[in-house]
Amino acid sequence: MKSVIIGQYIPGKGLFYKLDPRTKIIAVFLLMVSVFLFERIEQLLIALGVATLLLLVGKINIIRVIKGLKPIMILLIFTFIFQIMLNKQGQKVVEHDMYFTLFTLLFLVIAFILWRVMVKITKFRFTFFFLFVISIYLTLRYVDYGQTIIQPFNFAIYEDGITMSIFVVIRLLIIITLSTVLTLTTKPTDLTQGLEKLMHPLKKIGFDSESFALIISISLRYIPTIFDEANKIMMAQASRGADFSEGKLKDKLRQVISLLVPMFIIAFIRSEELANAMESRNFVPGEPRTRIHELTMSYRDTLATLFSFSVLILSIVLKVI
Amino acid sequence: MSYIEIQKLSYSYNEKTNVLDDINIDIEKGEWIAVLGHNGSGKSTLAKTLVGLLEPKTGDITIDGITLGEETAYEIRKKIGIVFQNPDNQFVGVTVKDDIAFGMENLCVPREEMLEKINFYAKKVNMLDFLDKEPATLSGGQKQRVAIAGILAMQSDIIIFDEATSMLDPYSKEELIQYIKTLHKDGLTIIMITHDINEALLADRILVMNKGKVFAFQETEKIMKDKETFTSSNLELPVALELANSLAQDDKFKEIRDKLWEYALTK
Repeated sequence: MKSVIIGQYIPGKGLFYKLDPRTKIIAVFLLMVSVFLFERIEQLLIALGVATLLLLVGKINIIRVIKGLKPIMILLIFTFIFQIMLNKQGQKVVEHDMYFTLFTLLFLVIAFILWRVMVKITKFRFTFFFLFVISIYLTLRYVDYGQTIIQPFNFAIYEDGITMSIFVVIRLLIIITLSTVLTLTTKPTDLTQGLEKLMHPLKKIGFDSESFALIISISLRYIPTIFDEANKIMMAQASRGADFSEGKLKDKLRQVISLLVPMFIIAFIRSEELANAMESRNFVPGEPRTRIHELTMSYRDTLATLFSFSVLILSIVLKVI
Repeated sequence: MSYIEIQKLSYSYNEKTNVLDDINIDIEKGEWIAVLGHNGSGKSTLAKTLVGLLEPKTGDITIDGITLGEETAYEIRKKIGIVFQNPDNQFVGVTVKDDIAFGMENLCVPREEMLEKINFYAKKVNMLDFLDKEPATLSGGQKQRVAIAGILAMQSDIIIFDEATSMLDPYSKEELIQYIKTLHKDGLTIIMITHDINEALLADRILVMNKGKVFAFQETEKIMKDKETFTSSNLELPVALELANSLAQDDKFKEIRDKLWEYALTK
């Protein structure tokens, strides 16, 4: 039986592994807030530098963090482009006419095909996406011969557009890096326990953080089991001729349903049996329980909290001044 | 007064038919009881009513002087643990350690005591090297042993095995049976629900259930000689005993017959 890796946690040693999950959650939260309070590009750049320095101090594999950035790369590129195009404040930096002719169209089609092909045969998806976006700009700007399709239009980039787009991208980069560090160095179970303890005060308004944490930890425990189950069902269906990889979208959907229905039924049976097992071991929801896992704070946690607090205070001070 | 007393116990899912029908049994402390019966004979229902998972329609269950009811279910469950059929569906913890601790956490055992007990009972079921392992990396037999350790750690002295060996491979099955034997030697009361007659032979007494009623409840040796009990409740005897029973009709084969008995009951 192969085990499925849940979350991004990688076992290791180093500063961030030794911190209490509560400290890490609080620190990440405070730092994120301060990142939003910084208003000048220099401040943000320094913050990015400090974040990188922290990664090095914590002996965190930078490549891992960059991999963590991948899923939001498209988002980053889009925010960048939209900020540049739509922000019309400050001085004009560039201004010129854009053309859209038959040849432009031809060039665009070629660029599109090139991009799709390169994505298929190489690994650098985002690099080529970026190149594709740049080539759209270049064609619109310089290819001005041939039959005009759309009348030439004016295109301008403003100062604020550039600063804001860099701003947004750096902010997002720092935030994602922070949260990646949190998930890389904290076991899912520790994370839930940290959340549970932090949300404990919410009991006054009727939020049962203990049950919440138990639900999360049981879900985490059953993910590999349910994966196994799905594999078995898929093999059972495949042995009777079902094909999950080919066919039209409609066929695929139908096949997914044939996978989901038995999985739901099995999950219900499972939860019934699990409830029985838990009850027979004297579990009563909402009753006080002792814990085998204990969270302990050390001087490191104090330091980390102090550090993030001072960053927050600094950001507030800078904003007020 | 017996350790476990079941009096006039009935249970039904609907009004028409009783899944359990007027059950009266006494079980002594330290006894090993095997429960045999066909699918739908009420074996598992009996187990679930014993730990208070199902509420009986009529009748009383008294364990160590405490009568089971809504108020006392918590106390009863401290004394009685149940190992279910599917090893995966009773593993609550994220790791072996967490799972053994689960019952103790519910009983509010202090943390230091829990750590001691976890080590002690993990060693007892031979899972000490696996304390930090996740359930997905364990075999079915290992998971069942973790379940046993969890029950032992709660200081229960009655363990119900609800077809606990039926999803295991032959090797793990044999291993689990060996553990049950040592538990029995340590003085625990064992109630083993099973389909496997060879397993049932290890018990002190066998309870045969049929259509929710107690069909027979006698010492193992006595019940095995009575072919009628088995054929009329659709259970099959092991080949050796079948043979011994047919040889029993002729005094010439007395010696062979006794040998076969010995073989079947000691294996």
